[in-house]
Amino acid sequence: MKKFTFYLIVSALLLSSSTMLSQELVVKSNLEGLTMSVGETFKPTSFAENLKGEKTLCQAVIYYNKKGVFSTAKAVTVNRDEGTIRANEPGTHEIVALCIGQQGQRLSRTFPVQVDFPKAKEIKITLSTSKVYEESYIPLDFEVVDEMNFIRKNEFFQLSTDSNNIEIDAFNNVKAISPGKAVLSASFDDISTSLTINVLENPVDKLELKAGLDVARTGDVVNYQAIGYDKEGKIIEDLPFSYTFSGKAVDKSNTASGLIMSDGKFVAEVIGEYLISASIGSRSVSRPLKVVGRGVEREVLKVGKGVVTDKHTSDFWVFEGVDGRDYAVTGTWGADGTSFFWDVTDPADIKKIDSVKVDARTVNDVKVSQDGRISVISREGASDRKNGIIILDVSNPYDVKILSEYTKNLTGGVHNVFIDNDHVYALSGSQKYYVINIKDPKNPVEVGMFEVGKEGQSIHDVWIEDGIAYSSNWRDGVYLVDVGNGIADGSPSNPVAFANYDYATGAHHATFPFKSKSTGKFYTVLGDEIFPDGVDENNPNITAGFLHFVDFSDLDNPVEVAKYELPGQGSHNYWIEDDILYVAMYGGGVRIVDISGDLLGDLYRQGREIGYIMTGTSNAYIPNATMSWGAQLYKGYVFYSDWNSGLGSSKVSELKPDNSKANQYINKTPIID
Amino acid sequence: MSRFVLFLLFAVSVGYGQEYYFYAAAESDDTVSLISFDGETITEEERIPVGIMKTEIEGPHGLTVDPSGEYWYLSLAHGNPYGSVVKYSTATNRPIDKTTLGMFPASMQISSLTGLLYCVNFNLHGEMKPSSVSVVDPETMTEIKQIQTGVMPHGSRISPNGRFQYSVAMMSGELFEVDALTLEVNRTLSLDKGGKMNHKGMHHSPVKPTWVTPHPTQPKVYVAGNGSNEIIEIDTDLWEITDRIDTGKGPYNIDISSNGKFLVATLKGDAKTLVWEIDKKKQSVVANNSSVTHGVVISPDSKFAFVTVEGVGGEPGLVDVIDIKKAKVVSSLKIGKQAGGIAFWKIEE
Repeated sequence: MKKFTFYLIVSALLLSSSTMLSQELVVKSNLEGLTMSVGETFKPTSFAENLKGEKTLCQAVIYYNKKGVFSTAKAVTVNRDEGTIRANEPGTHEIVALCIGQQGQRLSRTFPVQVDFPKAKEIKITLSTSKVYEESYIPLDFEVVDEMNFIRKNEFFQLSTDSNNIEIDAFNNVKAISPGKAVLSASFDDISTSLTINVLENPVDKLELKAGLDVARTGDVVNYQAIGYDKEGKIIEDLPFSYTFSGKAVDKSNTASGLIMSDGKFVAEVIGEYLISASIGSRSVSRPLKVVGRGVEREVLKVGKGVVTDKHTSDFWVFEGVDGRDYAVTGTWGADGTSFFWDVTDPADIKKIDSVKVDARTVNDVKVSQDGRISVISREGASDRKNGIIILDVSNPYDVKILSEYTKNLTGGVHNVFIDNDHVYALSGSQKYYVINIKDPKNPVEVGMFEVGKEGQSIHDVWIEDGIAYSSNWRDGVYLVDVGNGIADGSPSNPVAFANYDYATGAHHATFPFKSKSTGKFYTVLGDEIFPDGVDENNPNITAGFLHFVDFSDLDNPVEVAKYELPGQGSHNYWIEDDILYVAMYGGGVRIVDISGDLLGDLYRQGREIGYIMTGTSNAYIPNATMSWGAQLYKGYVFYSDWNSGLGSSKVSELKPDNSKANQYINKTPIID
Repeated sequence: MSRFVLFLLFAVSVGYGQEYYFYAAAESDDTVSLISFDGETITEEERIPVGIMKTEIEGPHGLTVDPSGEYWYLSLAHGNPYGSVVKYSTATNRPIDKTTLGMFPASMQISSLTGLLYCVNFNLHGEMKPSSVSVVDPETMTEIKQIQTGVMPHGSRISPNGRFQYSVAMMSGELFEVDALTLEVNRTLSLDKGGKMNHKGMHHSPVKPTWVTPHPTQPKVYVAGNGSNEIIEIDTDLWEITDRIDTGKGPYNIDISSNGKFLVATLKGDAKTLVWEIDKKKQSVVANNSSVTHGVVISPDSKFAFVTVEGVGGEPGLVDVIDIKKAKVVSSLKIGKQAGGIAFWKIEE
């Protein structure tokens, strides 16, 4: 009888639970179709309902903003104590109602919640030019200021005019037709405004287009200056010229491409005949430009190799030892904590001379002091999870000795380090860097720390030059920090940030400061690190990203002017010396690029490449699989590390490439010399 | 006749043994292994690369399989700067979705009551400040809330009824009970002798608790005192410590068999595993096949414990299979470096 009762209960439970599970339930809520105003609070109520309209109460309902918990999710916030939501920012936002059933089943539904913009209190149209001439389009900016002082740019206003000397098309482009006063009327959200425009007669009788060059190489920045003269031959000041170009490439299947700026700077990417034009109203002037090949290609010869056959190789550093000979240190990745030391005095005969093994899986970065006596290696994956850095005595690289281990505040793993004037700069937990005094290398002492100080602050690298630390902070970009230069009264124990630049992708992982020898301009070259498709262990990995050239000549107003992007390959570490860039582009090898002269636009497309080195080798850890990690020019040789093969050296010859092996079908384009 | 039926059943049971499947993460190789065990031999079925940055170690740490067995979840400790949790299909072992959590997300589990995933943000980046438990809706892969707890929280485990989430704060020496429905801290308990508690994290706990596991049938939770070399028993009705059981060096992770009879704890510092018969208070210690013993999960039939062993440096990680009743390693498998997180998936007949 007891058994029978037991089975009956079990059967009943199974039946009831299967009935519940088979029910098709949906979350119903007063969030459905909800429209709120900014600042408004709303108390949602929700329940589950089956297809017959029968209501089931939830044991609890958890509401959340689908964007998560970070600052991006603050547009609508949830107060769980009060059981309310609050609208903070206009727009359409998603709120999830998660119903926990009486028996513990979960059911959820996402509700779009519309938060209206506050009513507009003012609309503005402004001219973004000082003078408007007949037969020209009028540059306008549109702005709405609402009752809560939110500002919206470039809203679509209803434009109209009773004036017959301006025209408005369907896309709100406004064209000045003839001289005289014109009134442009605009309305938005029941608010109206108007703008009186004084259309001027085009005073230009004659135009002249001056140019720095009439024959240029690809990549040369040519400065154009248009000058307008009146009927009396006098120069008219402040004319808002428009610069354009057209052209015809030498190669019939190619397009004459380039970049022209609003100030008249032009750079061509392709060999051909170009016509540069400047116009004002219906008047224009043109000037031809012949563009020839840059002619910088050189023979690049592989010289030597220090192959690592049993593990991945990471970063490296080449240095002059205290004995005057030349040495290198390489790290290893995802392995056993080994660093290798090499004698590279003869770059054609690279010899492995010593190794140091520490408790780690990855020694991602290795650096050596300016005097060649101290090396610092980073640790990740230590078995005691303390990680930190190891300080080495490399005064005899044939017999490297561990001097000390330093882990304070560095237990999350150190990814990159730098040594400068008795101080180590070590990244901590991908958030900040610490400054550690190693004057007594057996007893390192923390003396300073730098962090951006923003929510989600993150860092990937730090590089020191002339007492300035350049930290690469992913989405927060590069920070220039005085750690002894004096520009901002900073020191290693008191790092002071004095300049910053960030860019939209947020993939900023490395920085190299670059003072152009040919122009005197100061740039920071900012590198991305992107793996767009994630990791694929079984196939070559797709990489992306490029180098951003930021003109930092005016520290308060840095301007991104150019990029180096190799199609199909992403950027990693790089070196710049004598206006030449040596950049490891992962599967694209090390690329050697002429970055002399003014820099503008897409440097790769401008034919600036001097040569390249495919760094894979047949006897590597992973054979014939180029995965260039970094490059360093040292005493005239290009040294590099490759993730799959180890250390190598190459030489850029003075000679042009040997054409004997060139495919006859390659379109050899003319060069000026 | 009945003898014939018995023979038939025996033959069937021999011919169609049980196959156990589970996942184990290799933190320094950015891989997860799908592993099977047929009662005698352990086999790596698949090694799954995880993470998105080839040249960065992203550190797969915690693993859990959802109650339906359709998905597994992996915490990646490192990011920019925050770590993340990634949802994978058990059918394909391919990632489905991802969300960012806090600093160094580690162990996690899904509540059978709320369906939400509760993951501790271990944050072992050096700073002694309170961290949090991230609550994630695995359906939308949205982080709903970060609930502040103690310094270096670890060992996120859910009560059998799904109502409470337990974690311990390694450096502040506290046990936290979070209400899985209200998403608030319900109770805290100092685990140090003398009961000193300091939420600001200036106090370094000598207990250094690293794991907590609720008993499947009794109102108790068991904590690994990694620093004090003990298992601490807490009565959750009384909310007080009821026993401290001495162990070997550095108990780290714990699991309790679903029949409630055995507690298995990894002894990180000894490279051993403790098998403790709870009612009889009988301890057996099993030597592992490498050093730095880390994670443990017990098969739902209470027969086997699967233990990860990190190794040091370039050594491969290991998974040791321990026959619980025999207290003996019966099979072992090399996987990626620094084997750590481990989660049971299914038993197949």
